[in-house]
Amino acid sequence: MNKLSPETEAPDAALLVAFANGDAGAAQLLAERLLPRTLAQAQRMLGDRAEAEDVAQEAMMRLWRIAGEWRQGEAQVSTWLYRVTANLCTDRLRRRKRSVPLDAVAEPLDGAPSVTARMHTEARAKALSDALAQLPPRQAEAVALRHLEGLSNAEIAAVMEIGVEAVESLTARGKRGLALILAGRREELGIEDDD
Amino acid sequence: MTIEPDKREMDALDALFAEVAGPKAEPSADLMARVLADAARMQATAAARPQPRGGSGFLSPLWAALGGWAGAGGLAAVAAAGVWLGIAPPAALETVTDVFFGSSVTLQVFSADDVLGMGI
Repeated sequence: MNKLSPETEAPDAALLVAFANGDAGAAQLLAERLLPRTLAQAQRMLGDRAEAEDVAQEAMMRLWRIAGEWRQGEAQVSTWLYRVTANLCTDRLRRRKRSVPLDAVAEPLDGAPSVTARMHTEARAKALSDALAQLPPRQAEAVALRHLEGLSNAEIAAVMEIGVEAVESLTARGKRGLALILAGRREELGIEDDD
Repeated sequence: MTIEPDKREMDALDALFAEVAGPKAEPSADLMARVLADAARMQATAAARPQPRGGSGFLSPLWAALGGWAGAGGLAAVAAAGVWLGIAPPAALETVTDVFFGSSVTLQVFSADDVLGMGI
């Protein structure tokens, strides 16, 4: 059994204060603790490893920058980081929406797991991300936090700084919209063929 | 008219969520190094930023209470005035000091010429 030092058991906010006071070890602990989850969140929303790494680095950079002004007790560091990462991702999705036409959205692949299962998963992740880009940003953010990050409605409300009822509305509308975008693509292409 | 997805489409979406939400992303060594380099750079920038005047010594609260450098100007003026009063007490005060101490004792720290630039 590993024996934990006081530093490794310290809350994120305490480590952030230590970082602001010049403790380099605090940065290492915070990065080990927060970077994997931040990267995973970005990768799930963006479906692209390189973009996710850029977002994760930028989100952590903003954390380092705000450390000196962090007021303990106002918000949890993890909640703050969820918000920053989600905002950075929705900014990228918005840019992607402008640059990627709807009929260029990655096609989800069908079929059972196989030797190409990993490629299929990546293609599906990209298809989901491209579909998220078609949603209004707040809906995309709420859906991603609920269904990709597994946060509760109360947690999402804290992250997005809105009420629980608003979260329920955003996730419900977002999920319906997402299902239609993913399922209706062939129909839409068929309509275009009729023109 | 609002188009609603059917149950099959919603189930397919749930399956997609489950598939994408599953795998964990481990940061590469390169990404971790970049993040820690950012952290070190931010710490160095914060350390190089000039600290508020007055320092952090044990006299700093007293210094702050006296109003820092702005207060120091006022203190200097008051001190000069005190020296001036010591050198040349008004007639009324001269009487009082004579009554209590017998005679006026003046301690001249520096000359009035030095303080006020005028001869007495």
